[in-house]
Amino acid sequence: MVEITGAEIIRAAAMLGAGLAMGFGAIGPGVGEGYAAGKACEGVAREPENAGLITRTMLVGQAVSESTGIYSLVIALLLIFVVKA
Amino acid sequence: MKKKIIWASVIAFLILEILIGINIKPDMSSIGEARHKFHSIAGHELPFGGINVPTMYVTWGVMAFIIILALLAMRNVKLVPGRLQLVFEMFVGAFDKLCSDTLGERGRKFMPLVASLFIFICLCNWVGLIPLGWEEPTSDLNTTLGLGIICFFVSHGAAIRYKGIKKYILDYFEPMIEIKGVKIPNVVFMPLNVVGEIGKLISHSFRLYGNILGGAIIMQVVSNLVRYIALPVGLNLFFGLFVGAVQAFVFSMLALTYVSVLVE
Repeated sequence: MVEITGAEIIRAAAMLGAGLAMGFGAIGPGVGEGYAAGKACEGVAREPENAGLITRTMLVGQAVSESTGIYSLVIALLLIFVVKA
Repeated sequence: MKKKIIWASVIAFLILEILIGINIKPDMSSIGEARHKFHSIAGHELPFGGINVPTMYVTWGVMAFIIILALLAMRNVKLVPGRLQLVFEMFVGAFDKLCSDTLGERGRKFMPLVASLFIFICLCNWVGLIPLGWEEPTSDLNTTLGLGIICFFVSHGAAIRYKGIKKYILDYFEPMIEIKGVKIPNVVFMPLNVVGEIGKLISHSFRLYGNILGGAIIMQVVSNLVRYIALPVGLNLFFGLFVGAVQAFVFSMLALTYVSVLVE
């Protein structure tokens, strides 16, 4: 019989929280970046001469919409590596 | 004939890798600790949790590399440029065009900042490609937060300079309430605007930090899982070269965008 102490419960909760944070946090940026990339594809198909400008704007916009995902990544990393019971 | 030699060397390399890799035991327990070593100097605890010494070394190394490269390129400047000078001229010209496209003529003043941010962050992100076990300085929050604070002060200073202090402060009370054509500063939105400005700083620096640190950790974990056979090359190409360059570009473009949002 393995004895489960408070420390192990804290560790397990931190791991579970990290997984949940990353999983739910990835939904928003995924949808947002995909939408931006799709619209950029449409734009490039319509005006191929502006492909460079459209790609640049798309990258900056994607980076902005990505930040919530990055926050959840940072929180997940904190939970995994910093929370030590 | 040439193709055969290339394929033979690739296969020989893979076999060698597999032979070495089988003897490496995956060790993932030290990934977190290795990236967060804080050091103290001569037994004294330093403020802010200490200084990350490897980050300092690599940062100064990257800066020395950039300075030496620039001195080499500008050693004998000619009207008809040589190879290195041409690369630098194209780089400077591209960023000059980018800044004047975004901000007009006064945007050219910010070109040195934006271009040097790009080249510094890009080289910092590519440090991880050197197989010496160096850490990217940008996977340390101290570096990215420092760069973010520089951009914060530059953008606000530019706003005060170009708009005047009165207009700058009044902009925090946007959107104004309009009663019979008279605009009244909106006190309710003031805290939100202030928090928004601080949030810009935090998201600016955490974006770079999270991207690079996340990429480095993914590379370490997956390389450990496949015992350093073949896959790390592709991972390094994506997370090292591509993401590094894109994030450096995004960081400098956002610095420029924050300036242009505040100035106009």
